Amino acid sequence: MDKTPSVVGARVKRIDAEDKVAGRTLYPSDKTLPGMLWVEVVRAAHPHARIREIDVKPALEVPGVVRVLTHRDVPGENAFGIQIQDMPVLCFDRVRYLGDAVALVGAETRQAAREGARRVRVDYEVLEPITDPEAAMAPGAVALHPKGNIMHQGHFEKGDLAAGFACCAVIVENDYSVPMIDHAFLETEAGISYYDEHGRLTVDACGQYIYRDQTQIARALGLPLHQVRVMAPIVGGAFGGKDEVTVQIHLALMTFHTQRPCRMVATREESIVSHTKRHPVKMSYKTGADRQGNLLCVQARFVADTGAYASLGGPVLNVMMEHAAGPYRVPNVKVDGYAVYTNNGFSGAFRGFGCTQACVGLESQMDLMAAALRLDPLKFREQNVLHKGDLAGLGYPMTCEVGAGRTVRSAQRGALYRSRRRRAPAKPATPSLKPYLRRGVGVATQMQGLGLGIGIPDYAEVGLDLRPDGTLQLRAGTNEIGQGAYTAYLQILSGRLGVPLSRLSMVGADTALTPDSGTTTASRTIFAVGKAVELAAEKLERVLGERAERAFGWAPGPARLQGDQLAGSGGRRPLRELLGDEELSVQAVFHVPVAEREMGDGLPHRFYSFGTHVAEVEVNTLTGEIAVTAVEAHLDGGKVISRTGFEGQSEGGIAQGIGYALMEEVRLEGGRFLTTNFHTYVIPTSLDVPEDLRTVPVEVREPEGPYGAKGISETAMVGVTPAVLNAIADALGVRFFRLPVRAEDVLAALQEKKT
Amino acid sequence: MAIPIRVKVNGQVEALEVAPDESLLSMLRERLDLTGAKEGCNEGECGACVVLLDGKAVNACLVLAAEADGHEVTTIEGLGRPGALHPLQKAFLAHQAVQCGFCTPGMIMTALSLLLENPAPTEEEVRTAISGNLCRCTGYRQILDAVQAAAQEMRAGAQGRRP
Repeated sequence: MDKTPSVVGARVKRIDAEDKVAGRTLYPSDKTLPGMLWVEVVRAAHPHARIREIDVKPALEVPGVVRVLTHRDVPGENAFGIQIQDMPVLCFDRVRYLGDAVALVGAETRQAAREGARRVRVDYEVLEPITDPEAAMAPGAVALHPKGNIMHQGHFEKGDLAAGFACCAVIVENDYSVPMIDHAFLETEAGISYYDEHGRLTVDACGQYIYRDQTQIARALGLPLHQVRVMAPIVGGAFGGKDEVTVQIHLALMTFHTQRPCRMVATREESIVSHTKRHPVKMSYKTGADRQGNLLCVQARFVADTGAYASLGGPVLNVMMEHAAGPYRVPNVKVDGYAVYTNNGFSGAFRGFGCTQACVGLESQMDLMAAALRLDPLKFREQNVLHKGDLAGLGYPMTCEVGAGRTVRSAQRGALYRSRRRRAPAKPATPSLKPYLRRGVGVATQMQGLGLGIGIPDYAEVGLDLRPDGTLQLRAGTNEIGQGAYTAYLQILSGRLGVPLSRLSMVGADTALTPDSGTTTASRTIFAVGKAVELAAEKLERVLGERAERAFGWAPGPARLQGDQLAGSGGRRPLRELLGDEELSVQAVFHVPVAEREMGDGLPHRFYSFGTHVAEVEVNTLTGEIAVTAVEAHLDGGKVISRTGFEGQSEGGIAQGIGYALMEEVRLEGGRFLTTNFHTYVIPTSLDVPEDLRTVPVEVREPEGPYGAKGISETAMVGVTPAVLNAIADALGVRFFRLPVRAEDVLAALQEKKT
Repeated sequence: MAIPIRVKVNGQVEALEVAPDESLLSMLRERLDLTGAKEGCNEGECGACVVLLDGKAVNACLVLAAEADGHEVTTIEGLGRPGALHPLQKAFLAHQAVQCGFCTPGMIMTALSLLLENPAPTEEEVRTAISGNLCRCTGYRQILDAVQAAAQEMRAGAQGRRP
């Protein structure tokens, strides 16, 4: 009995796309105000140093410079951070990474602000940078923060590892290393600030959670929440990199002190140096299976370099540990994780949120075990995959719908996997395949926790306004960062109310107008906010029914909208007869259900998305170049709300997964960044992503989600990287344990294999 | 030390006094309020600022405003507007080639420059043409599809106008 109306699951045009293709959308970096100041940040000159003195006078002498702010000008708490407020708004005694802000310069022009920033004189006592996390953890290491350098650690144990390994026919043990990488969102950190018509200090800047940004700004400025307004409806990409505060507090501070509108736009170099990164992780995996191919043991140790400040390093490590055993039934598990402070930039949220790193190690191990057991890689995964009710790696039951096995079977049926044993140069599809090209196909299966996990408040509230003409406006506090969620919300609303999309509009992300819908992260918005939209639609029909009962004497029960008419038990009446000229507004909130038992620090999640990726590569054994030639994504994100959005996110995830596997690495030396632009930090271009991209929805409906939907934005990327790694191993018979795998690595490995 | 220039922007002649080190991008965005061309890197590596200079795609961040003197500049705003979109803009819309959209104007202008020169490009030619335009949200496939669809539409349009 499927009553899904056609708009849900359909290919619809994004509501924001027409303005975007016309170049009319105003992004945070496009906004200007009359009389505004440009604000530039003076950043640390050393990755680790003590500040002796800050002299702002030379900057004030630059024509056009209006104000220079230092830590003395922070009226509230000079600290911010999503989880732990250990990061100074403006440094006062010490700098801990090159992105640290020491002073702010406000000037009439961008040039003057830059010149002013260059002239601020900071006297430093340079300290030895701490760049090796293992050394930072060692006793006696110089502490970067009062509680020492181990920012967070976790230890989990289930079953009996020694006894488990004793029963294994195959044991595989390896170390893996994954690099720091940058989100490389196309729009750098930017925005404006001003006092609005109600005297509220307003920040209209990039971000991923307006209500948390509001709290962080208010805390630093010592203002009550209601005097701070934050908005960020349209953002030029984020991927987790704008989850932590970037420009917001600095903008607010300059407007607060000068009473003038202000504007900031980070340069690309500043962006790469200053914002959070994906944690570089060194991991050790020891895994084992019995002769029948039953996975018996997973032992993992993670050392994550969290850099100078906490941000979300703790939760990222938790998610890494939570997903250490992946989507598999494993009776014996031991996981140890450390997130360690260093002077290497600072790390935080990034698509996949820790799961990404663990998946690289585990899915490599899965292939190695399958090979040792002479089992088909997908059969081995299918045999061990979690089902609903099974205990996950850390020992809690999977109570959500689990589509992991179905994604594996979908991949088995896919053309790419079935072509796996076709060997170069005989592959008919590419008759020109040269003898020096090697073709390989690899797979990876994964799961990804959805939402924030137990212990972290995870709710979404939305507002819905019905006008007397029957048109509706939805208000939600999440950001449109490219993922297409605003369109999907309206599809859900349209589906539930039976009102066409053309009669619906959307207001997003403004603390003055939209309720708190939670973060725009963690693959959660379609699930959590989408569900709140469903609840709001139901509530609206209920309220309309109640009012029609009172006004028209209709029998109790919900009333339906039909154009500008109301339909119910008593027939049809013009909506205007009920509402007059007034709008009818309802609010609804959805509290994301959580696991029954908390394991500490936000663990575990209750809901997960699942996916199996199949990747094909061609490796040139003469040059070492690796070309990804096809990728198939079999994704369980529950019911698909927007087919085009689903495919778009999947393909974007594939591109990012390829980048992580083959080219991306933020390189540092002594805490200094060596890759601060797009010619040294290389991300995939149109020449690096294959034409052959296929996304297969595996729709295992999650009853708690709207129409049974879950998010896939992270699942879309996470499995791609290990699938590419496994494809390279399939092509060459050589396996790589360190990312990214570059041409020179391939050549060196082939050379070594020969000798 | 301002330099007087006359430049035709989206069909309209603008007489401006620009700074010697002012980029075309800065002139368009800050003086003329044409923010369709985006500032993604300011060093010619991301393609978000691509506009047409006498019909050819250029990174506006790498061209000095003074160099545009006596020339013709077309930005995304000069291509079409909501309700009256250019075939390329329509195709980007129809093929969901837009996510965050920050790369979109530059991507469309680069594609337009290609199609003006080569109305029937192969997929490889489109790939190469847009390889200087970074997109972090899509996997480029939807963009390539959109460019091909627009090329077809524009060819059909050109044929339709023939007597």
